[in-house]
Amino acid sequence: MLKNPSSNWRNDVPCLVVVCVLITLVPSVAAQAPGGGALMGKITDPFDAVVANATVTATSVETGQAQTTITGKDGAYRFDLPLGNYRVKVEAAGFKAAEIPSAMVNATQTAVVNAKLESEQSDGKPAPPTQENLPNAPSSSKTAPTLEDLGITPAQTQGNAQEQARLDKRTHMLKVHQRLGLITLGPLIATFITSANAGGKNTSNTDRTVHLVLGAVSGDLYFMTAYYAIRAPRISGTETRGPIRLHKALAWIHGPGMILTPILGALAYNQKNNGEKVHGIAQAHGPVAIVTGAAFGLAVASVSLKF
Amino acid sequence: MRKKILIAFVLLALPAFGGPDSQWVLEQCTLTYHVSHPLHQSEGVSHAARGKGICHDGQCDFLIAVAVKSFDSGDSNRDLHMIQVTRGAQFPMVTVRTRLPESSSTSTTVHADLEIQFAGQTVQYKQVAFELTTQGNQTRISGTIPATLSDFKIDPPTLLAMPVKNEMPVRVDMTWHPQ
Repeated sequence: MLKNPSSNWRNDVPCLVVVCVLITLVPSVAAQAPGGGALMGKITDPFDAVVANATVTATSVETGQAQTTITGKDGAYRFDLPLGNYRVKVEAAGFKAAEIPSAMVNATQTAVVNAKLESEQSDGKPAPPTQENLPNAPSSSKTAPTLEDLGITPAQTQGNAQEQARLDKRTHMLKVHQRLGLITLGPLIATFITSANAGGKNTSNTDRTVHLVLGAVSGDLYFMTAYYAIRAPRISGTETRGPIRLHKALAWIHGPGMILTPILGALAYNQKNNGEKVHGIAQAHGPVAIVTGAAFGLAVASVSLKF
Repeated sequence: MRKKILIAFVLLALPAFGGPDSQWVLEQCTLTYHVSHPLHQSEGVSHAARGKGICHDGQCDFLIAVAVKSFDSGDSNRDLHMIQVTRGAQFPMVTVRTRLPESSSTSTTVHADLEIQFAGQTVQYKQVAFELTTQGNQTRISGTIPATLSDFKIDPPTLLAMPVKNEMPVRVDMTWHPQ
């Protein structure tokens, strides 16, 4: 079912060769391994900056034997190789792979192969899929498998600092959201406790004022809590799953409730202060507050406890 | 005549001994991390790992890679926090490399030295035990990697101001087949 990988790989070589590769075969009298030769060079980016940690593979054209090394901090690499003709492949995260089809290693001179890599994003197009990129295709390498052998492209392994910063900001804001939510529970519970003395027949103005102040503090903390959740960065392509769905759905109950409760409370407060019995829509203050408080408590529990 | 046949046989048989290296391909894989919190026990599962083994001179080099964001704990909020805390956007892949003798495929247990790259760190785990079961041409490998958050310099995530435990064992269940 799968074609011969090595023949396909060779057919795909022109696709991998990057236009900007500079090949310089410079004679050198550097030290060489006895009975063999040496191949060395430097890998640079389009701005002539050195590329460290690039993977350089030298494959013997005659025998197919491959050796791999990594460029150092100065972008340089070196192989001590048996004499012969070698194909040199250079790979680095964020750059297109470069292939030098022929470099002759002989006993008298060190072959120097420098390569200038072209940026992966330069044309905005992803690298064309090759037979090698198929996860079940046999590896062309005779040594350890590479990520490319698994069908994982350099683009997939490249980090995204902006995305990480976005996630960091999101986590920070949601941590503040969580802390403020827990702090809000304190005055909210106290508001409920003081409501018993605020709404009865024999209540004092002081009891009502204490209830009002606690309610106002709860409301302020609540909206600060909500702010950090609403303003936390959204991560695109994320489907909401799990308990967070209930947590978010409950916001549609306690959110409007937190707006409505103080409005109804203010009406009730004025009616009581005028010596009237709480009447009309103000009568809904208590039930709305209970539903709101319950929804808020459930929202906290939904992400804190496993049901 | 016999001598010629013998020479021909030896010449034909030679490529079989020095011939093409065998390879292993990861067919199925389930990776499960376990995180403990005083209020929660959470697990994240990924079935998205890819792997390959290349054997040469009796030694097999294996590489398994999986995207950090492929782990699913059933809670998208937790998954996003895990990606953030493990710096998964900056270091999107987890890779595991190991080298095993080719003969170990017939054993029932194997102890592997693992090199794991995760969260921008490279950590080696020595002699991690895995069980091997062979059925037909499939070899099932299962075991647990005793990973910890501190190994990878990950700050323990907190919930209600309580951090999760440092231990984060990763259960591995893989099915390989030779190619």
